[in-house]
Order: sequence, then structure tokens, then C-alpha cells
Amino acid sequence: MTTQHHADIGTNRPLDEYAEAEVQRLLTEDGRVAEQGLTVSRREHTLILCGDVESAQRRDEIVRLIREQFPGIDLQVDIGLTRANAPADAEELS
Amino acid sequence: MIRIAAVGDVHIDKDVVGRYRPALEELPDKADVLLLAGDLTRHGTEDEARCVATEFGGLGVPVIAVLGNHDHQSDQPDAVTRVLTDAGITVLEGTGTVLDCGGTRLGVAGVKGFGGGFAGRCASNFGEPEMKAFVGTTERIADSLADALHALDCDVKVALTHYAPVPDTLVGEPLEIYPFLGCYQLGRAIDSAGTALALHGHAHHGTERGTTPGGVRVRNVAHPVIKQAYSVYHLLGDDADIDSPSLVHAGR
Repeated sequence: MTTQHHADIGTNRPLDEYAEAEVQRLLTEDGRVAEQGLTVSRREHTLILCGDVESAQRRDEIVRLIREQFPGIDLQVDIGLTRANAPADAEELS
Repeated sequence: MIRIAAVGDVHIDKDVVGRYRPALEELPDKADVLLLAGDLTRHGTEDEARCVATEFGGLGVPVIAVLGNHDHQSDQPDAVTRVLTDAGITVLEGTGTVLDCGGTRLGVAGVKGFGGGFAGRCASNFGEPEMKAFVGTTERIADSLADALHALDCDVKVALTHYAPVPDTLVGEPLEIYPFLGCYQLGRAIDSAGTALALHGHAHHGTERGTTPGGVRVRNVAHPVIKQAYSVYHLLGDDADIDSPSLVHAGR
């Protein structure tokens, strides 16, 4: 998806399922993001982003891009950072 | 006993380099081998592959990988593979490798895999050329996994894919996208070859544990699923002190 394509969406677009689909595709297809592991959902007038990413920079960039491409929407961000600690145990398989 | 560490979907780029390293330094104490289940990079560029090589190279245990769909995004899978291979990482695609783990020969066969869906809800090789190309890709890749598994000369076989071979480990994902997350043909290939364990990634919202129709344990090791740098699986031999084939969780 190109930046121009997103610009066509325009400001103050209703938060309908088309907008939800565009956000989902933005997350995947924008080269600055390329995230397929986030859940995008709508609750009344709020767009909710859920899931885990690998760095705080990625989370910040996702939020910045969505606010830029979808100005005026009420965005709730619930994105965590995936833990990368060593495992405390192993699973034994017979 | 063979100790297998595994993780997928690490999506390494410059901003992630160093993040896994403290946990990886412990690997030689915890595992005999590390398997990487694809989506090693964000966009499949050489630069990102070099970041993967920095993070997962020189670990003190062999590292075996398959690529994922993200690793194909820049249409340079051969370049990504070359960078990883130069760093000592074995990259499988319709191929296999055998390691000596304390006298037991561990064979690992791997493919990226592809979508297509699962029994009763799968795409068919029928109709438009685009659809035939899609399902034809699914079948070709699954066949190459079967061939690679059958060609292994070893004591224990493990299948490594990015896409899922069963729907069990997709629970938590929207049902509508299951056909984009895996295919039953991979499971059939795994079941055809006396495989002991199948590892995959790709499904970030999925579930860790599943089983093929033939009874092979499947584990989704996508990083957001396992929520740690890697998981470790102990494959026990026939003489293991265990009462049943059910799973035993050490330390839980």
C-alpha cells in the first residue's frame, strides 16, 4: 500500500469496517511497520490495537503512522513488548 | 535425550539486535541445537539478515532455520539465505540435516510451508490459474517436506516449518485466516515419515501445543506465543523413565 493510497482515505473518515481493514493492511504493508501479529478491533468510536511487538520503537512508529493516516480517530493502544528472557524450564516429550 | 531449543517470528532488524543475546548465551547449557521457525527478519533484506546473523550466529550450538513469509518480502530469499549460511546457520528448504547429539542422530527437515487450509475447509487445486498456482505451491512445498523427511538417515526426526501443519496450534487466531496460516498437507507429510516432533511459527495469536492426526506433537514456537527467547523441548529415548506418552512439564 502506498502513502498516496492512504492519503485518499482522508480526514474524519468514519471508523467503519473499511477503515478497520485499511489499518490492518497499513500495519502489514507499510515498509516502516510490517506487523502481522497485531489485532485491530473497533469498540464504538474507538480503534483498539492489541498484541506484542519486538521493540518500543516499533510500537511508537505504529502509533505515529496510524495517527498520521487516520487523524481524528480515538485510538486505544494495548501493545506490549514480547519478553525475551531465557526459559526457566523445558518440556519433556516421551 | 536430545534437547531442542526453538523460536520463530523474531523479526530482527537493527532495533532488536542484542535483545535475545543474554538468553542465547545460556543456550549451550540448555540445548543441543537451536531451531528457528521462520520470519527471522521484518522485510527479508540483506541488512536485516546480517542483523539475524549477528544475533543468532556463534552461539556454541548448531543453529538450523527455515525462512518465513516476511523473509520473502523483498524477493531476496537467496541473498538472505546466503548471509545466514555465511554466519554458520543452516537454512533448510525442502532439505534436511543430521546432527550427532550425544550419540543419537537428530535429523531435521524443513520448509517454509504455505497456506491452503485444513481438512474440510481447504482450498482446492481447481478453477482459475491463480487458484491452481496457490494450491500447487502448497502441494509442491509439502511434497518437498515429505521427501526431505523420508531422506533423513537418523534416529529421531524433527520437522521445522514456518506455516502450521495443523489447526490445533492456531486456536486464538480468527477462523477466517486459518487458510493463510497453514495447510493440512504439511501435517500429512509429517505423519508419513515417523516424525517425533513438528515445530512451526507464523501464528502470533495461536496456541503452543497441538497434535497431528497421526499423533505427532506439534509446537507453535512463534515468539509472541511462547513469550520467552526460546522454548526447550527434551526428546526422550525409549528407555526414558516416564509412565505414559503424555507430556511432563519440568519445573512447573
